[in-house]
Amino acid sequence: MKKPYIVGIADMKLCRAPGVLVTYALGSCIGICLYDNVIKTAAMVHIMLPTAPPGVPVENVYKFADTGVKEAVRKMVAFGAVRSRMICKIAGGAKMFETFNNPEWGNIGARNAKSVKEALRREGIRLVNEDVGADYARTLFFDSATGIGTIKAFGKPEKKL
Amino acid sequence: MDYNRYKDETSLNFDVLKEIGSIGTGNAATALSTVLGRKISMTLPEVKLVEFNKAIYELGGPEKIVAAVLVEFSGEVHGVMLFLQNLKFINVVMEGLLERHIDDLRDITEMEVSALTEVGNIIISSYVNALSSLTGITMNLSVPSVSINMLGGIMNVPIAMYGYTMDKLLTINGTFECDGEEVYSRLLMLPNEESLDYIMQKLGVAN
Repeated sequence: MKKPYIVGIADMKLCRAPGVLVTYALGSCIGICLYDNVIKTAAMVHIMLPTAPPGVPVENVYKFADTGVKEAVRKMVAFGAVRSRMICKIAGGAKMFETFNNPEWGNIGARNAKSVKEALRREGIRLVNEDVGADYARTLFFDSATGIGTIKAFGKPEKKL
Repeated sequence: MDYNRYKDETSLNFDVLKEIGSIGTGNAATALSTVLGRKISMTLPEVKLVEFNKAIYELGGPEKIVAAVLVEFSGEVHGVMLFLQNLKFINVVMEGLLERHIDDLRDITEMEVSALTEVGNIIISSYVNALSSLTGITMNLSVPSVSINMLGGIMNVPIAMYGYTMDKLLTINGTFECDGEEVYSRLLMLPNEESLDYIMQKLGVAN
């Protein structure tokens, strides 16, 4: 396999076949893969929070689910992708500490997942597969040649997305 | 509150933070020595203000498997304490406490998880108590939570908590040494912005 392009936290990368994208150890964060099968182009975003705070200029759009999805879709279109052909796959949104029940932060993973789905609906992008929730971190690979994701987690068998 | 001050490394009083850290870690090491009945010390604490991604790499990389104990503190100041330990450190604890040895973290039993959570809780509590009596600040601690998983995922917790206002993590951290040998373990204090200002004021070093 070709050396993958690493997507950091609050980061986005876009690539064409045969490029592979990876983001490591998604906890409550969510890795969002956008893909256009015809032009074999993929984008991966690693968001960490559900929505951008209102009334404050956003320094980094990829930090938030709503602004991150919007900007990634815009970039995909700029690179020749077509909205109606574009599909999306997501992974992450875990609750890492089972008994950490802070009302604001305890369920941040679930809130992230909900916000990503809402943002996708607004953009009219189909969510075809997801692996979200549970209590473990996930490393997500996405192959732009096939449109298939691979999830690796500690003590779990490898999973295709 | 002047948030920008926190974003800027040069305006933070690192020496004071280091001192706070060493009082806390010194107490934590003593507590652990008592529990295990062997000599445990701690390296001088490091105070760092670094970007999220960089912070994770400096702690050992996103995919490093660690056991983490998390305790939230609240009251006059807010934030979280995280105690990270690798398999080798867990075995130091297990051999001292339960006379057991773990070969693979995948096979860890419920009893062993409970023991390491409790040890993490003792370490964190003694750190916080020392800080609390030094500053006169009341800090309430939550019950400890535990997670044995990838470091990156675990660090998502403080990163998300502070993500709205910052792109960096402020960590005050120390490493344990068992019989003079450094064993991977990190005791991290992650206060929020207002709390840091508050602590500085209480210590009389606010600028």
